[in-house]
Amino acid sequence: MNTKTLLFVLLLSFASFATISQSATQSHAKIAIQQANELWQQSIAAGHAWNTIQPLVAQAKQALANKDFETAIALANEASAQSKQALIQAEFEKNNWINNLPK
Amino acid sequence: MTMRTRLSLIIIACLFACAGIVSATPEEDKKAFQKFYMQKFPGIALEDFANGVYSIDQDAREQWEAMNDFPPYEDDLEIGEELFNTPFSNGKNYASCFENGGINIRQNYPRFDTERNTVITLELAINECRTSNGEDPLPYKKGDLARISAYMASTSEGSLINIIIPNKGDGLTAYQAGKQYYYSKRGQLNFSCSNCHIQNVGRKARSETLSPSLGHPTHFPVYRMKWASLGTMHRRFDICNKQVGAQPLAAQSDAYKNLEYFLTYMSNGLPVNGPASRK
Repeated sequence: MNTKTLLFVLLLSFASFATISQSATQSHAKIAIQQANELWQQSIAAGHAWNTIQPLVAQAKQALANKDFETAIALANEASAQSKQALIQAEFEKNNWINNLPK
Repeated sequence: MTMRTRLSLIIIACLFACAGIVSATPEEDKKAFQKFYMQKFPGIALEDFANGVYSIDQDAREQWEAMNDFPPYEDDLEIGEELFNTPFSNGKNYASCFENGGINIRQNYPRFDTERNTVITLELAINECRTSNGEDPLPYKKGDLARISAYMASTSEGSLINIIIPNKGDGLTAYQAGKQYYYSKRGQLNFSCSNCHIQNVGRKARSETLSPSLGHPTHFPVYRMKWASLGTMHRRFDICNKQVGAQPLAAQSDAYKNLEYFLTYMSNGLPVNGPASRK
């Protein structure tokens, strides 16, 4: 195998690796957004959605469309984290609300 | 008596106390609600709470009273009256949909419709009047619907709020849902309606005095300087939700209707004085 062939094979390998890793990141972003969306819907159904969640999901979708997968994942994860907090709040307030009655 | 028995008795007593709070009748709730404000602000007559924040903030009240020499909602009120009296394309009008021709009825809304088993707000009733007469519904938060509602409220000036919770149907359930909504913390700031309007009433949030909830429903729709227009109570709920970082609900959603039902019941006995102006 001469040097030229070796370089070509190496280049081809790098290109394939880059494509695989990019598609993996893209699919990760899609999964993260789907999960964020589901959790957001759950917080709406619980009547405790925060108004910061929807913009995060929208921004994550925009980042995915712009092929900025890392940003998309970060935003979607933030949206999921906030939705989880909203769901904890909803669960807690099922019993805690009586503590706010006038005393 | 052993320590364990004492502890059990204390826990049982607490559970009974909590159950008592939750299962209080609407009338008991109203008495406790009104008593809280009367004790917090002694010297202010019950009916004066109908003036909202201006009942407890003298400086702001003087400015407000001066502004009311030329109320900013006057034009809207005139348009509202004109719209109210304009016949629909089928020849009927709003008066045909309401008892007493729609005059002097604001104090009875929101009411619980036992046949439909839901809370009917005045704004919902206005839109249902339109659709039942072949007209398109109007947007719920502002515009012509708020103008018509403002005119109807003005015909009730001085009438005492008289919200009834019927024994038949789920009126009490709707009331309880509204009550739970009012006292539940929500949003990223983890605030309930009561955190501002009960626990911190009279204190400042930045430059604004937090208003008492007693009397809130008497003066809607309100003309807010910030909006430069009239807005319905559900428009205000929307803003309150946003201010605490909660996702607002649709106007006339069940949760907002129930909240209005509870809040208005708490102001039973106060005079209607809407529309009014606010900062």
